[in-house]
Amino acid sequence: MKRVVCFLLILVSGLLSPAFLLGQDKREVLIRNATVLTAAKGVLENTDILIQNGKIAKIGKNLKAAAGAEVIDATGKFVSPGIIDCHSHSMLDAINEGTFAVTSMTNMRDVLNPKDIAIYRALAGGVTTANLLHGSANAIGGLNTVVKFKWGKPVEDFPIPDAPPGIKFALGENPKRTHFPALPNQSPRYPRTRMGVMETIRDAFVRARDYKKSWDDYRAGKTRIPPRKDLELEPLVEILEGKRLVHSHGYRADELLNLLLIADEFGFRVATLQHGLEAYKIAPEIAKRGTGVSIFSDYWGYKLEAYDSIPYNAAILWKAGVVVSINSDSDERMRRLNLDAAKVEKYGGVPEEEALKMITLNAAKQLGIDKRTGSIEVGKDADLVVWNAHPFSVYARPELTMIEGEVYFDRSKDIERRAALEKERQELEKLDVNKSNNTTAPRLPSEKRQAERDDAEYH
Amino acid sequence: MKFGSLLCALAALLLFSVCRVDGQKRTDVYAIVNARIVTVAGPPIEKGTVVVRDGLIESVTADGAAAKIPADARVIDGAGLTVYPGFIDALTNLALPAPQPAPVPQRGQTAPPPTGPVSNSNYPTGLQPEVSAAEQLKGGDAQFETVRANGFTTALTVPRDGIFNGRSALIDLAGDAVSDFVVKTPVAEHFTFRTGPFGVYPSSLMGTFAAFRQMLLDAKRLAEWRKLYAANPKGLKRPDADRSLEALFPVVDGTLPVVFNANTEREIVRVLDLVKEFRLNAMIAGGQEAWKVAARLKEQNVAVLLSLNFPRRTAAASPDADPEDLETLRFRAETPKCAARLAQAGVRFAFQSGGLANPADFFANAAKTTENGLSTEAALRAMTLDTARLFGVDNVTGSIEAGKIANLTVVRGDIFAKERTITHVFVDGRLFEPKEKPKTPTAPNSNAPAVANVGGNYSITVEIPGQSVGGTLALTQQGALLTGTLTTDHTGSAPIRDGKVTSDGFSFAATVDFGGSQIELDVTGKVAGDRISGTIATPQGAIPFSGTKNP
Repeated sequence: MKRVVCFLLILVSGLLSPAFLLGQDKREVLIRNATVLTAAKGVLENTDILIQNGKIAKIGKNLKAAAGAEVIDATGKFVSPGIIDCHSHSMLDAINEGTFAVTSMTNMRDVLNPKDIAIYRALAGGVTTANLLHGSANAIGGLNTVVKFKWGKPVEDFPIPDAPPGIKFALGENPKRTHFPALPNQSPRYPRTRMGVMETIRDAFVRARDYKKSWDDYRAGKTRIPPRKDLELEPLVEILEGKRLVHSHGYRADELLNLLLIADEFGFRVATLQHGLEAYKIAPEIAKRGTGVSIFSDYWGYKLEAYDSIPYNAAILWKAGVVVSINSDSDERMRRLNLDAAKVEKYGGVPEEEALKMITLNAAKQLGIDKRTGSIEVGKDADLVVWNAHPFSVYARPELTMIEGEVYFDRSKDIERRAALEKERQELEKLDVNKSNNTTAPRLPSEKRQAERDDAEYH
Repeated sequence: MKFGSLLCALAALLLFSVCRVDGQKRTDVYAIVNARIVTVAGPPIEKGTVVVRDGLIESVTADGAAAKIPADARVIDGAGLTVYPGFIDALTNLALPAPQPAPVPQRGQTAPPPTGPVSNSNYPTGLQPEVSAAEQLKGGDAQFETVRANGFTTALTVPRDGIFNGRSALIDLAGDAVSDFVVKTPVAEHFTFRTGPFGVYPSSLMGTFAAFRQMLLDAKRLAEWRKLYAANPKGLKRPDADRSLEALFPVVDGTLPVVFNANTEREIVRVLDLVKEFRLNAMIAGGQEAWKVAARLKEQNVAVLLSLNFPRRTAAASPDADPEDLETLRFRAETPKCAARLAQAGVRFAFQSGGLANPADFFANAAKTTENGLSTEAALRAMTLDTARLFGVDNVTGSIEAGKIANLTVVRGDIFAKERTITHVFVDGRLFEPKEKPKTPTAPNSNAPAVANVGGNYSITVEIPGQSVGGTLALTQQGALLTGTLTTDHTGSAPIRDGKVTSDGFSFAATVDFGGSQIELDVTGKVAGDRISGTIATPQGAIPFSGTKNP
């Protein structure tokens, strides 16, 4: 009898997991009669999207689905590609390894938290994909992970398997001020100046070149002792070989340009300049190198090096031919990236589709995942958002967010589920283990509002 | 009179030296008759006899069979008693010294040199797999009295500190000399996903992963290099003599298991990924959410040293408090069901106390696992034979069989019953008769020693050299247990752990966030009237604090 009860409990807890409640049918889904914002080939009115096995199979009018297919009536609604946030620290249990100036041995893949509620909230804001980056405490930081927000799935389902690997770099105030000489006799960490940051990066690549040579010599039989496999330098060798994307945090134009020159020197391309508040000053130099820029639409002035920006940054870069994306760097702003993209249309007159691309296709291009996601085109992953209004409207909200044809957020089902969750809470709170028998002070609000941390510490 | 006392002293000295010269341990012979015997190796014997001689079990016989009671045996009437194999706690820090706070550097002074032996390892403190519990054990029988009185005869003891904590030893809980009580060493290498001391790599969780990987890769390479050098040293640089890496050789080749401390689902999943990556022979310690990944644990053959320190709400309900999240409420409700689910999935597990303040709660909580679907047989095995098997000592202990170590726990009543009394405990054949009735969960703290009264909210000032930092300390006392929150202007707020109140003060640990780094603090202090004062031991040294109670 106990076993039966136990089994039932497992079953019930399974039923309560979001993925089950939202349905798992991957075979065929038909979205009917929507206004489709393709982010590639314009806006298609009264259009159907047929999804088979998680991929967009057909886009057109009056499409037929197989019997048993799930049909979503999107009459009067808008469908956009899932939003891609090119700079996020959501679902990470740790962000900065601040001890060294180069921490390329660390990997954000190791510290993913698939239960972070920020994931579900991001889905509720139409975000399906994010670039999870190490913090900016180091000239060369840790390895990033590009994930899809498959809420409710095991952690191994989150990373996009064929996304090119990447790494975080950082320039300016953050890497030079991370030295915390908080206690007596503690040496401050090098570098402490902007020139020191550049030297740190150049030095690391010189070491990486030597490291690669030591392995080349060993493999050629010139040495007998196997060289140390160095987790710090391996990723830098991959950068030199063009196999790893560099996403560099930086604000000032002089510094951003200096990094591009170091990249020229060592023969690699910087994939994205992150933040790049002064990137508009060097737009042609960035465009020439095929480097992307991922920015806030209209947010600056939060520290000295972040003063000289303008809301026309995106428009100027776009006109110069730079691939631009708008990112959040925040659990909270992530949920309304659609409005940040809308602002780009307002400031500088970027066309609507180009503005939409800045939170979808362009971010996918910057992350090297544009073959599979970022726009509504046949053959791509069905990462889609159904909106009640045009996503650039302040009244817009996602009704439904799907990844690879599976629904991960459904506004109506979320509302339906609340009563059951409340009931479960009441039952659980009755249990002895959940009763408040003791008198320790309750947690302070500051412990819980992770979003508050974002602004102050990580840009 | 004087002469008399001198004589006494002489006699005592003589006796003592005879004992030492003789060098033999006491060799008592016991026969427990008419007792119920739960052998664990087979079905229970409802009425039988266990004979103990020279530290070993000589015979186990059911009545009806010709039970020979040796003439030299002390006979214990077992009527109404049940004899169990001695219970094993699968993870403790017993018999290991308490961590020493580092000395305080004064302003303007250079940092004091590191204390202790200078390591010939290239790795910082915290990454010292060469640390060995067996080398740190302190002697003295008295330290085992409390746990023994509660029915434990054996425990795995694990070095407390660091990230690579070092190698554990299995000890029997009796004996004055360390050589008396070590059953097996090393049993396993232990790893905790902690960060280094403040400002020292690794200072983040991903740094800890990177450090683990790099050390294993370095150990593999050193082993390979040694092999090359042994085969033909000519023209080769001499391999490093790095004792940290040497300690990892048996980990790399899978001959020594690694025990990872991991409690939540995601921590366990991360461990399982590492185990796969390096093909490790591994176990999980803690494992309270292990049931969520039972299939993977089974598939990767990773056993769990399951903590019986069940979570419960400690924070007060208050109008200011937000409701706790559903996951937390569920976690507390699900934890006692974990063992049954692991058993059902075929995952191997053993029970550990997980730092329970009251050792008697171990059995009360083990009983809860049986109320939540685990068979009593499986629960018994998880504190006897299965534990012994996980540690590779099931041929010598863990069940009542002739020839095994005489580790026995004799109980009036059932070990899982609320009313039970531990009447006799045999450790290595030595009989201990607990003097007082050990605490049972029905009457918690009934025998607790008088403790100071320290609960309350305090405004404190922490005297970091060169500056004073304000903060608050909210302490909630329940008998000898202390919970609460430490808040300072520099570190924000952190819950306190391992809080204890003694007769003259209190101590607790906390992990605080300091500029993005996690720092471990050990706090000790006293309360006198409305005044609180004490010391915060940090990795950089001890910092004094003082303050007053808020009305």
